[in-house]
Amino acid sequence: MRSIPTRRDVRAAACIGLVVTAAAGCHEQLAAPIPARSDDSAAPRPGGTLHLASLADVRTLDPAGPLDALSGEAIHLIFAGLVDYDQEARVVPDLADHWDVDDDGRTVRFTLRRGVVMHDGTELTADDVKRSVERSLHPSTPNPNTSYFANIDGYEAYASRGADHLRGVAVEGPYVVSFHLAAADATFLPLLAMLTLRPTCRSATDRYADTWLPCGAGPFKLEADGWQRGTSLRLVRHSMYFRSGLPYLDAVEWTYGMQFLAQRFRFEQGELDMTHDLTQSDLARFVADERWRPYGAAEADTSIFGESMNTRLPPFDNVEIRRAVAAAIDRDHYRMIKPANMTPLSQVIPPAVPGYDPTFEGQRYDYAAALEHMRAAGYPFDPATGRGGWPHPVEYLLYDQGVVLYTAQVLQQELAKIGIHIALKVVSWPAFLAMRTDASRAGMSLGSWGMDYPDPSTFFEPLFASAALAGESTYSSAFYSNPRLDDLLNRARREGDPASRARLYGEANAIVCSDAPWAFTFGFHWFDLRQPYVRGFAPHPVWLRDVSRVWLDRASSGAGR
Amino acid sequence: MTSLARRIAWSLAVVWAVVSIAFAVNTLLPGDPARMASGPQARPADVARIANQLGLDRPPIVQYALFWKRLVHVGPRLQGAQADPGHTSCAPVVSIGRWALHVDFGRSFQLRQPVIDVVLARLPRTFALAVAGLLVQLVLGIATGTAAATLRGSWIDRLLVGTSLLGISAPTFLIALSLQYVLAYELRWLPLDGFGTTPGEHARCLVLPALTLGIYGAAYYTRLTRDEMSVLLRSGWVRTARAKGLSPLRVTTSHALRNALVPIVTAMGLDLGALMGGAVVTETVFRWPGLGELSVRAMLNRDGPVTLACVVVTSLAIVASNLLVDLTYRRLDPRVTARQGPGTR
Repeated sequence: MRSIPTRRDVRAAACIGLVVTAAAGCHEQLAAPIPARSDDSAAPRPGGTLHLASLADVRTLDPAGPLDALSGEAIHLIFAGLVDYDQEARVVPDLADHWDVDDDGRTVRFTLRRGVVMHDGTELTADDVKRSVERSLHPSTPNPNTSYFANIDGYEAYASRGADHLRGVAVEGPYVVSFHLAAADATFLPLLAMLTLRPTCRSATDRYADTWLPCGAGPFKLEADGWQRGTSLRLVRHSMYFRSGLPYLDAVEWTYGMQFLAQRFRFEQGELDMTHDLTQSDLARFVADERWRPYGAAEADTSIFGESMNTRLPPFDNVEIRRAVAAAIDRDHYRMIKPANMTPLSQVIPPAVPGYDPTFEGQRYDYAAALEHMRAAGYPFDPATGRGGWPHPVEYLLYDQGVVLYTAQVLQQELAKIGIHIALKVVSWPAFLAMRTDASRAGMSLGSWGMDYPDPSTFFEPLFASAALAGESTYSSAFYSNPRLDDLLNRARREGDPASRARLYGEANAIVCSDAPWAFTFGFHWFDLRQPYVRGFAPHPVWLRDVSRVWLDRASSGAGR
Repeated sequence: MTSLARRIAWSLAVVWAVVSIAFAVNTLLPGDPARMASGPQARPADVARIANQLGLDRPPIVQYALFWKRLVHVGPRLQGAQADPGHTSCAPVVSIGRWALHVDFGRSFQLRQPVIDVVLARLPRTFALAVAGLLVQLVLGIATGTAAATLRGSWIDRLLVGTSLLGISAPTFLIALSLQYVLAYELRWLPLDGFGTTPGEHARCLVLPALTLGIYGAAYYTRLTRDEMSVLLRSGWVRTARAKGLSPLRVTTSHALRNALVPIVTAMGLDLGALMGGAVVTETVFRWPGLGELSVRAMLNRDGPVTLACVVVTSLAIVASNLLVDLTYRRLDPRVTARQGPGTR
């Protein structure tokens, strides 16, 4: 016979619950920052281990493997590239001493630095560059970025196994390597600065293998048994790094899969030196705390979010309706959801990407204009009576994670004010990825895109160019096509003059904002917190948490309140 | 013996059915595993190439047949069968001459490792957590349940029953976070989370997750033991034992408790099987690298080989623990064997 809880049982349980809740609630005060040993003018001091953590886990440490943002954080420390991005996301020489552009922009010739020592003690040569490029682009490699380099001469033959070598990459001497392109391409250098083609040690051989241990020419190298998959990663200083005196740190250590609360506890106790995985309430408390304010920094805005409207389905096949949606959304209402992480966005290019024009107005909130667009579309809406508008509910597809669950509800309220009623269809992330590309299914869906490389083309081409609609699978969820935009994008890709390129992308931006296949809403960035003794850190526009120039200046083990 | 063989055969059939259903569900669910492996922004041409590399461009029925074909097969006996190019994702289990019996779940789409390596690394950790958690449940549950039954109606009884109600009602994440806050953050007696690198650290890291599972599950055993013991302590033969002059402790433990064990063992067997599937929330909060967290992540990422491997391991654990319970019954209660008759042994 089972006992049925009596009223007394319930009372006892409630009392115990109250005691536990009260005990937990007592902890309101954040620990004090752990001070630095010396003042801001102190010179960098070498030594120490930087401790970082993340909720997620790295999938690979091979630049030719299936990369993600978290992998990139470590891989760019292990592997140096011929070129890299500076703090303004401009392409600068790294392993290359310099480069020359010939043949009307179709040949880029790199001269390597002499005496660059890789982690295995060998010297970097042009042969290593060619071998690494061929390894990364070989059809047997699980590289999801291969087709970005389809413009290299001979790529098609190599990718279809019709050639043993990639014709367009030529060794012209021990320290000179040329890339021959099928057509001039202004995006080639930003693409090359990505991680994918970075030189690997000879132990990588000329074919990808899952079992290869990462080895490159970057400032840090993998410690023996330093990667416990799913758990932790430890990189140690490459003492023969080609930039003399760098890095300052002896080691960088990541712990993966750590929950937000555990990260906060460890950060307060000084067991983690930096963090950016915090709950909204904790983040708000850190941001509001005078003691912590100097040690927080927003990472770069390199992603865009928006409401994607399927231009092939009613009502969004009508440009006036799309314009009404773009004008009806008050971006500040979105930002209120996570003020420390969200930036209102009104155009295709986010603030941290070259080509962003802060003076360009783009799409803006204008309720009267939104109502006027509804009227022009033939579906006038009267806010006083609630009559009119689009007569059918519109299905809105989104996934069941994070901030978008809240932004969708804001959208619902905003559009109801102009007579468009949306029905939320929440699916899992894999289902979302599959369904958003079906032109017949998703009338309206959540749009999001992160920067692959710092250039406006990384947003325009996959999302709004007609070429992205070719084939069965596309991520152009608006199914938008505009020959004039295509022409501008093609010209911009070939244009070598930065000012002319900026002008072309400016025109493209204006077309997309006016045609409104997306109503742009917000950009998302992480917010980094560091202890005061973590010196020399500034969020990087591409590598985000770049710690290659960080040094530690810790005075005590602290965690006082 | 025949009965046991029949039970084993039936158990294997159950495993086959469960895995087949899991395969079907995994295949039918919307979502492209190749897209998940390539990343949300990979270009269609790259996704198609990766789908081909992973064998995902083959018809589902072919993929299903290949899964069973390679799950258990005979392969070369090598210094680690993975040295053979055709058996890079296999683990040899039994060797006979130049040959060996291989188990092969394939390679993880996401982790790009042999699934058997991933599972074998995590299985002992899940087993350790399941056993430790269950031990805490049993010790706490049986002790408090026995005390509550012995002192039935007293304030101690009400306190214990009330506490057990709280344990049943509280979700595991609440228990986990409370323990983490008090014992690890405030008092700093134990690690906040993790697995450690030495046996000593493993043990220390195991305490909080085991306590979480223990407190959550102990409530059920408290109530079960209390209910069973309450009936037994009022039975005639217990009164007789008392009248014979046996000590209260002896009467309670040797007579009443032993007879209360049959339903407890049943519940324990089911719990052990379920815990072997992984305690997802507890593993996640405490970063305990077990099968639960792995299987959830695999399912969310459409990592079919890992999902199926976790289903195989979990269903095997459940049927094995049920078999174990059946065998234990016969020890605890000879009437079970007697009822089945000598011919059925």
